Amino acid sequence: MKKVMVGNHAVSWGVRLARTEVIAAYPITPQTQVVEELAEMCSDGRLEARFIKVESEHSAMAACIGASAAGARAFTATSSQGLALMHEMLHWAANGRHPVVMANVNRALGPGWNIWTDQIDSLSQRDTGWIQLYCENNQEVLDTTVMAFRLAEAVDLPVMIVLDAFYLSHTAEPVDVPEQEAVDAFLPRREARYKLDVRDPRTFGGLVRPDSYMEMKWHLQKSMDQALQLFDEIEEEWLLRFGRRYGAVESYRADDAQLLLVTSGTITSTARHVVDVLRERGESVGLVKVKMFRPFPVSSLRHALAGAERVAVLDRNLSAGRGGIFAEEIRSALYHGNGRATPDVFGFVLGLGGRDVTPALIEEIVQRTKSAPTSGRRDLWAGVNL
Amino acid sequence: MPDSLTAGRVPPVAVSTTSTLVTKTGAWKYIQPVYRDRVAPCNEACPVGIDVEGYLNLIREGRTAQALDLLLRENPMPAITGRVCHHPCEASCNRRCFDEAVAVHEIERSMGDLALETTPRRMPGTRVGKIGIVGSGPAALSCAYHLARLGYAVIVHEAAAEPGGMLRLGIPEYRLPRVVLNRQIEWIAAHGVEFVCGVRVGTDIPWRDFLSRFDAVFVAIGAMRSRPLGIPGEQLEGVRPGLEFLAEVNRGERPKLGARVVVVGGGNTAMDCARTAVRLGSDVTVLYRRTRAEMPAIAAEVEEAEREGVRFTFLVAPALLRGTDRVKSVECQLMRLGEPDASGRRAPVPIEGSRFRLPADTVLTAIGELPDFRSLPTGMDLDQSGVATDQLGATSLAAVFAGGDLTRDPRSVAHAIGAGKRAAIGIDRHLLRAGGLAVNGGDPDELRYGPRGNLSITRWRGDDPVSRHAPLNEVVTFGDINTSQFVHRPRAIGQRVAVEIARAGFDEVNVGLSQDEAYEEAGRCFNCAVCNRCDLCLILCPDIAITRDGDGYAVNLDYCKGCGVCAAECPRGAITMTKVGE
Repeated sequence: MKKVMVGNHAVSWGVRLARTEVIAAYPITPQTQVVEELAEMCSDGRLEARFIKVESEHSAMAACIGASAAGARAFTATSSQGLALMHEMLHWAANGRHPVVMANVNRALGPGWNIWTDQIDSLSQRDTGWIQLYCENNQEVLDTTVMAFRLAEAVDLPVMIVLDAFYLSHTAEPVDVPEQEAVDAFLPRREARYKLDVRDPRTFGGLVRPDSYMEMKWHLQKSMDQALQLFDEIEEEWLLRFGRRYGAVESYRADDAQLLLVTSGTITSTARHVVDVLRERGESVGLVKVKMFRPFPVSSLRHALAGAERVAVLDRNLSAGRGGIFAEEIRSALYHGNGRATPDVFGFVLGLGGRDVTPALIEEIVQRTKSAPTSGRRDLWAGVNL
Repeated sequence: MPDSLTAGRVPPVAVSTTSTLVTKTGAWKYIQPVYRDRVAPCNEACPVGIDVEGYLNLIREGRTAQALDLLLRENPMPAITGRVCHHPCEASCNRRCFDEAVAVHEIERSMGDLALETTPRRMPGTRVGKIGIVGSGPAALSCAYHLARLGYAVIVHEAAAEPGGMLRLGIPEYRLPRVVLNRQIEWIAAHGVEFVCGVRVGTDIPWRDFLSRFDAVFVAIGAMRSRPLGIPGEQLEGVRPGLEFLAEVNRGERPKLGARVVVVGGGNTAMDCARTAVRLGSDVTVLYRRTRAEMPAIAAEVEEAEREGVRFTFLVAPALLRGTDRVKSVECQLMRLGEPDASGRRAPVPIEGSRFRLPADTVLTAIGELPDFRSLPTGMDLDQSGVATDQLGATSLAAVFAGGDLTRDPRSVAHAIGAGKRAAIGIDRHLLRAGGLAVNGGDPDELRYGPRGNLSITRWRGDDPVSRHAPLNEVVTFGDINTSQFVHRPRAIGQRVAVEIARAGFDEVNVGLSQDEAYEEAGRCFNCAVCNRCDLCLILCPDIAITRDGDGYAVNLDYCKGCGVCAAECPRGAITMTKVGE
């Protein structure tokens, strides 16, 4: 059944279809609609979940961790400053191996106060041990939300679904809503491997000394590696059941392209259009979309980018003092080409704080990438008025 | 837990490999919870001595039959008190500091009406003895009921043609319909109480004969004489004792008062006179020598009187009644408030040269009532406010008890009912002792709800159906309530008939709440100080040291580390923290 809905509500519907048991959230623009809709669903009985109102995002995540520790399927949503406030608890969720799912609506961090899209909030949480999945459209948001629970619970790691403020969160699109029974078959109730049990009381999150701490971290990394492979399998199953798949990395008209654009989030849709236009003109330009940022799909990207002469990475984020974060991760992934020539990676910082990334701007990036003698491994800025 | 946790390998999750039960965190504490039921302020405030909180909680739990039973254990006439009591329970209700007091009187009335539909069960005669009761007002009916329920043979003697005393003579129909009163008395009689009417003890039967017929006697003849104004002109035609006027109307007569009626006094009798006079078509002015704040009448009665068109003139006292044969006017004296008097209220002081005249066709006096001490048996000691009794109603005469308006008890229906119950306990204790039985307890202070409350006959009988956890006879204040566990909800208000209908006749003015509304209102009760098994402590204890235990909870002190969360979160103050070892 198709329904027209905004991206925020696509999250809510995904959470509902996943039969989430506990939702703890604190409102923040542009996320608020996600939990507003869930609160409605809880109150009118469409979703049998405990909705916990909390006084901060830190508590929201703490409540989700508690619920998850008790064996429940838990969810929250946030943005920007809210996500930053959660930071401590993000480590706790991952290290405690609590498969909490969270939607983060990408929003810039202030000051200057800004509610528009920018990936700096989620990318700042890179090292917390969360799986991160970026979405391009509302259908992908709903599908990813359901799949996120499956992935999280398979590897006992938390998953962050990431969507752009306003371009997705507040933009309505037709979304195919899967049947509940089909989703139930895809995602059964959670069977927690480790959970609180008053009849067998244990200490969770207690002191772990140097003789054991590293091994725990090794397990964490191993689970991240597993997640990379499992995500492919989960997507295959989603494809069989619902006819759609996205890929941790997706190549679009990339065959034999001399120049590849690399994007994430909604910029991808604009870039698809630009690639179509340029291909019409006979230019050798293709597109690679990165959906999964953690674990970083190194080998898929190496495969996708192999053969291109130049790569232009479009980063709606800035790691001040270095540049775009995706560009840097991709350079690192491509380093040591096993004897093969590696493409020259051009990093472009653009669209910060919700600034429009237009087809013309992406065309400009293509031309700048083609015409420069070399990237010089230094990031460039696009669409900035100085 | 998966095997990996116990196989000696490092688990992927930071979880202990052994049970935490080996760590007795209780050793860390220096304070610990004490789980004890205390007393709700309404229970202590109730002159009848009702376990108000207890029956409201049973209603909340949906156990309405048990709730009614608990109420009827202490109060024989909730249908009456629900209508006419000044409900000090509500004035003391902790919820009034949160939003509004629970409408206890409306709930009680609803339960009382329900009680009248039940068929009383005669109690098996566990006690032997014959009790004579003189008077049939609320004190007498209460004493008779409680003694009958204990198994005694009880005979009530009433001088008037019908029983009820002040309930029948003094309280107008629009506050207490006769059908309710009659059914209430029949219901009490059905417990095995015998009524003899039209017999004035002391006149028709000499006291000596009367006392010799019974094992014990309870005297509750009330205070039926209006106190005179003590000013010139009181003998004029048209100047009448208010109580006499009320009794006449309550008998069904409709005396002609004339166009202008002046009522003197600020108590409930004055309000009853004023509102009754309105119903007989007169224009009514109440004179009160102090201000509204000092009026002893129930505030709601004053409001109703105003709603019905009664005028109030405060800080005015009658100085002189003018007229030749019949009263024509009241010469009034303006007053001001001076220093507080013995009652604690500021005393009215005349303002010189400030007299004025108020025309009047009838003057009704209602400045208080006096007992008729002449009709008491000889040898009965009096104190400054009436017949002297001990805490259980015993007079100076052997086996003779007294209570209600002829003693120092405050003049209210509820106090009279409480006095009747106190005397029933006193008589029971006296007869058990006289029968050579060892009586345990009976210290009135141990039977009270709270240090200042009335006695509980349930405590005297020792058959409380509500389980109490280490009960402590201490009243819980608003500060002990965890208000974050409650939501604001307005108090239920009983329907009232339109003022035109009220003024036109003697229909009951307050229609009350529906049964469902009353039950819902009971849900507003905080259940102060009494654990109602809400599970909050059990849920919130971070050490899972609290478990359900029978009707309540047990704290496992091996693991309670004294954090105090249970005490802080208990909505009703049933858990307090104390130093370890105290």
